[in-house]
Amino acid sequence: MFVARSIAADHKDLIHDVSYDFHGRRMATCSSDQSVKTHSGSVWRVTWAHPEFGQVLASCSFDRTAAVWEEIVGESNDKQRGLSHWIKRTTLVDSRTSVTDVKFAPKHMGLMLTTCSADGVVRIYEAPDVMNLSQWSLQHEISCKLSCSCISWNPSSSRAHPPMFAVGSDDSNVTYGGKVQIYEYNENTRKYAKAETLMTVTDAVHDIAFAPNLGRSFHVLAIATKDVRIFKLVPMRKESTSTGPTKFEVQIVAQFDNHNSQVWRVSWNITSTLLASSGDDGCVRLWKANYMDNWKCTGILKGDGSPLSGSSGQPTAMSTVVGSSVHTSQNALNGMSAGRYFFPPLDLPRAGTRYGHLLPPSSLIEHCDAEPIQPQQQPLPHRHSSRALLPLPEAEGQ
Amino acid sequence: MSGSKPDILWSPHHPDRYVICDSELGLYRIGPVGSAETKAGTLPLSEETAATLLAINSDTPYMKCVAWYPKHEPECLLAVGQANGRVVLTSLGQSHNSACKELVGKEFVPKHARQCNTLAWNPVDSNLLAAGLDKHRADFSVLIWDISSKFSPETSVAADKIRLSSVDLDSSTVVTKPLYELGQNDACLSLCWLLRDPKLLLAGMHRNLAIFDLRNTSQKTFVNTKAIQGVTVDPHFHDRVASFFEGQVAIWDLRKFEKPVLTLTEQPKPLTKVAWCPTRTGLLATLTRDSNIIRLYDMQHTPTPIGDETEPTIIERSVQPCESQIGSFAWHPSSQNRMVVVSAANRVMTDFTVFERISLAWSSTTSLMWACGRHLYDCVEDGAEGVESMIEKDIATKMRQRAQSRYGHDTVQVWRNHLLAGGNDPQLKSLWYDLSYILFDDDVEEMPAQRDAVYLGITIIEKDMECWSGSDRQTDVPRYLSEERCLALRLCGWISRGPDIDVEIFLRTLEQEREWERAAAVALFNLDIRRAIQILNKGATAEKGDLNLNVVAMALSGYTDEKSSLWREMCSSLRLQLKNPYLCVMFAFLTSEPGAYDGVLYESSVAVRDRVAFACMFLSDAQLPRYIDKLTNEMKEAGNLEGILLTGLTKDGVDLMESYVDRTGDVQTASFCMLKGSPGDVLKDPRVQCWIENYRNLLDAWRFWHKRAEFDIHRGKLDPSSKPLAQVFVSCNFCGKSISYSCSAMPHQGRGFSQYGVSGSPTKSKVTSCPGCRKPLPRCALCLMNMGTPVSNCPGTGKSDEKVDLTRENKLAQFNNWFTWCHNCRHGGHAGHMLSWFRDHTECPVSACTCKCMQLDTTGNLVPSDSS
Repeated sequence: MFVARSIAADHKDLIHDVSYDFHGRRMATCSSDQSVKTHSGSVWRVTWAHPEFGQVLASCSFDRTAAVWEEIVGESNDKQRGLSHWIKRTTLVDSRTSVTDVKFAPKHMGLMLTTCSADGVVRIYEAPDVMNLSQWSLQHEISCKLSCSCISWNPSSSRAHPPMFAVGSDDSNVTYGGKVQIYEYNENTRKYAKAETLMTVTDAVHDIAFAPNLGRSFHVLAIATKDVRIFKLVPMRKESTSTGPTKFEVQIVAQFDNHNSQVWRVSWNITSTLLASSGDDGCVRLWKANYMDNWKCTGILKGDGSPLSGSSGQPTAMSTVVGSSVHTSQNALNGMSAGRYFFPPLDLPRAGTRYGHLLPPSSLIEHCDAEPIQPQQQPLPHRHSSRALLPLPEAEGQ
Repeated sequence: MSGSKPDILWSPHHPDRYVICDSELGLYRIGPVGSAETKAGTLPLSEETAATLLAINSDTPYMKCVAWYPKHEPECLLAVGQANGRVVLTSLGQSHNSACKELVGKEFVPKHARQCNTLAWNPVDSNLLAAGLDKHRADFSVLIWDISSKFSPETSVAADKIRLSSVDLDSSTVVTKPLYELGQNDACLSLCWLLRDPKLLLAGMHRNLAIFDLRNTSQKTFVNTKAIQGVTVDPHFHDRVASFFEGQVAIWDLRKFEKPVLTLTEQPKPLTKVAWCPTRTGLLATLTRDSNIIRLYDMQHTPTPIGDETEPTIIERSVQPCESQIGSFAWHPSSQNRMVVVSAANRVMTDFTVFERISLAWSSTTSLMWACGRHLYDCVEDGAEGVESMIEKDIATKMRQRAQSRYGHDTVQVWRNHLLAGGNDPQLKSLWYDLSYILFDDDVEEMPAQRDAVYLGITIIEKDMECWSGSDRQTDVPRYLSEERCLALRLCGWISRGPDIDVEIFLRTLEQEREWERAAAVALFNLDIRRAIQILNKGATAEKGDLNLNVVAMALSGYTDEKSSLWREMCSSLRLQLKNPYLCVMFAFLTSEPGAYDGVLYESSVAVRDRVAFACMFLSDAQLPRYIDKLTNEMKEAGNLEGILLTGLTKDGVDLMESYVDRTGDVQTASFCMLKGSPGDVLKDPRVQCWIENYRNLLDAWRFWHKRAEFDIHRGKLDPSSKPLAQVFVSCNFCGKSISYSCSAMPHQGRGFSQYGVSGSPTKSKVTSCPGCRKPLPRCALCLMNMGTPVSNCPGTGKSDEKVDLTRENKLAQFNNWFTWCHNCRHGGHAGHMLSWFRDHTECPVSACTCKCMQLDTTGNLVPSDSS
């Protein structure tokens, strides 16, 4: 069902994080190769903002900073860099320790960025003017008491769910209790308050991920600790009069120690029906629930893409084949534009032109029989009203 | 290193050879498993690799330490330090090189016999071999030997050499005078040459670390510490050194040698080996005694000597290469993060690769990307059919496929939507048939009063039902009939329009679809045993003599009314063995007492519609609502879409759909289904809005923009309140009035454009000026005509080919006429012209404007992934 292949990247050192953009077309990776001093330490994480805000990336580093990057087109005269280049719009220097994770808040909250750092502080920044990415104001500073390693926003855009994020701690002291804390925004106090602590997670947490909500009535949280855990947070129906944080009924849905070692990352697919995890055993495992909500492993892929053979009890449905590595000089052009970032203009996974230039929408005319008279709805049109980078469909509206 | 405990050394030049030394030296070659030499002698190291023993050397007893000669020639030369302090050069395998023969067998003997603890070849001047010895009174403990001393090239006759080495070994090849003598009155436990300067030797002495400079042997730099064992230089940062003592590893920076830059968390057991990974920066592997795990420390930062007070971040990991206790390990010199591990006992070897921490991310299109070390891997869900398609595809993949097949868009034949969805999901089939029955019941059309009721599903219909019962004279089974019950039966699909309650049409449809058992059951429930038997017979013939159906037919024909007959007894006991649920319920029905049909009603594998229809026929007014309520709650709980029949598109239906979405994440079906529920209160339910928004978001993320637009149109038709307002207006430069407004103010927006005329259209009236002030509209940057002029034939588009699809052409022509402009440089023109311009150009068509209009919009450059 799943086939792996290798992709040529330009990194000289380890890749710490990979991140897809909203459309699954472009990918950002960050590494510890210090070829260009964008950060002076290893870059831990990289993340994309919603394309509505432009082509915006955030990264965080061991050097105690987080940075926001924006792609700029057509202003560079440097032919080597191609038509676009990335410039650093701001550096957030509030942390006194290594910034361990950075995440944009869900789109409906506006352009907000959250960082968490090794000293246990979660900071929420907001860009009040989405046109000016060099100004970010620190809106909230939440102390979690424990060294933070990862953060995840609840992506639900439903009004029934107030903004909520979960923080994981990599503190290895088991006696400090729950290593996953969930904070929720309170409309009345305009502050984030702790809504829940998952007391059963006592070991160091390396990654945490809220599942895409997709209109479900509950939230699902995957945790990478010494094993893979999936929690379900069912909001209790609360009376309209109560002002406190939402109470949750916390259920552990699954717990897998198949990695037999520390689990480093967890990631949900777009419908939150597939979970991928990676662990110290060098394997990527895929998990899926059946209709009875029983989760089980549906695939194991070795970290180097080679097929896993001979192990007992492995599903046979997964075939891992290492394809020939795609190597073109094109990625060198794009890859070096921001130093350690690598931005191949990804095409469809199956299309052969993965590293082709970004095509002008030549196919737009051919595809455009979707009653063009009908105005296309933009999710938040007012944000664009003054924006120079106006997407084409709006003009198409009239 | 004691004699019994094994150690491993990789060949410095052959990436596939290593030496294991315990009581003897064994040279192994590693290769892929099952390669040409799959001899009996190969030892499996991992799933892919195996080792072959090439040579054994047991010439040197009392081995304490071994070091491999770093130069390429002679290749298999090893220095062995012995318990008596002697250092012997020995070789593995046969080499025909004279230089090797010269060297092999050479012995370097210290003045006083004591244990040799460590050996280190100088990495640059390979003639220099440093040996660290135990303390002997005031003697020196670090001796540096020159292996080329007494080397006489003129006596290189091969025959002589052999004779010499075998007979005169002791006398002629013994060297007793070291080149340098260091570390007086001390013991040396570990040694390594510094890579930043090959004249410097770092030695772990008794209670201090010392750096000796060969250029000035009288001086040494030293620091007092207990961590003096296993000194080793980081091959990537030549100033970084690791050493250990008991369970604690100290990391030193030679630039500020006063104290360790950091110490790693102490292990409960004493360490035995510490080694930097040669292929990866900042990775230190440590091994403790009696342990089967190797602990790795990942120091992902550049070491800085100057006062950075922050504690460097170290990622601690542990790997378990094998089950047994590990004797020793060695990093492969070139293969990435690979090591060979040898067990403490029995010399069991394992080839093992330490994987980097893998970070991963799903793309919106169900492809998984992960990074392992420096490499990226991409993994997609393979659409391959066949055996693998047995495993259900992920709902994301399904929804994508369904979106492409226009699932949900068939508003005429609503039931066909389940075919668009792939046609293999019974729940979806049931759902769309239900909706189809609910929405297009002809009788309902005639009775507008009931129209609303129908939307509400059977539950509501059932509630206000004044029933009259008619009992069938044929048997004593009471059957109930009423107008509402008929309506319910119609919704179940059992009977069609009209006042008659004939199921014959339905039976024929079922026969056509070869659902023999179901047809027979329906016939039986209509108390027509003869017909049921006939159907079964027909089925048996059609299915090429399906014995089962014939047997059932036979059993049916033996039906007897008697309460205590053998037939009845056997049927009720044997029916449970029937695999087909419909056959099962047939006998359940026949053997039940009137009014007690639990065997039929609670057979969960029978379709809900059939059970409900059955209940409508045979349950009394008291029983029926109870049963329906129970079933409804069951369906809601389970999120079973068949239950939509009961709930209709009401709030209960939303509840049911909520549990369906909770279970499957299929917001697509939920959105389309709920859009059919025209009454506003369903669509206004925040949950429904949430599903719709989530589905639109999915389509956006998949770049199915055309599908999203189609969905919006579809939604706008069914839910007028969702129609978006116009977002962009074109206003006249002079009077400021909206031009587009005047267009859209016309009765049909489409006509506003049609008057611009497509090629060949007779009416070519021009709207080239502002309708408000009559001033001309701006000119197109390309054709320099005023806007409003129809676009002349677009160069480059093969019009003749497209003529066939006239409606399509119309739309395209209209689009070509549209205004478009760059929001950065404000230049623009006809949309068609602009598109063809930017197909070949990046800069704005206006001279001297260098704006790269098209590329400013990154999303606009993405090609939609749906073809409409």
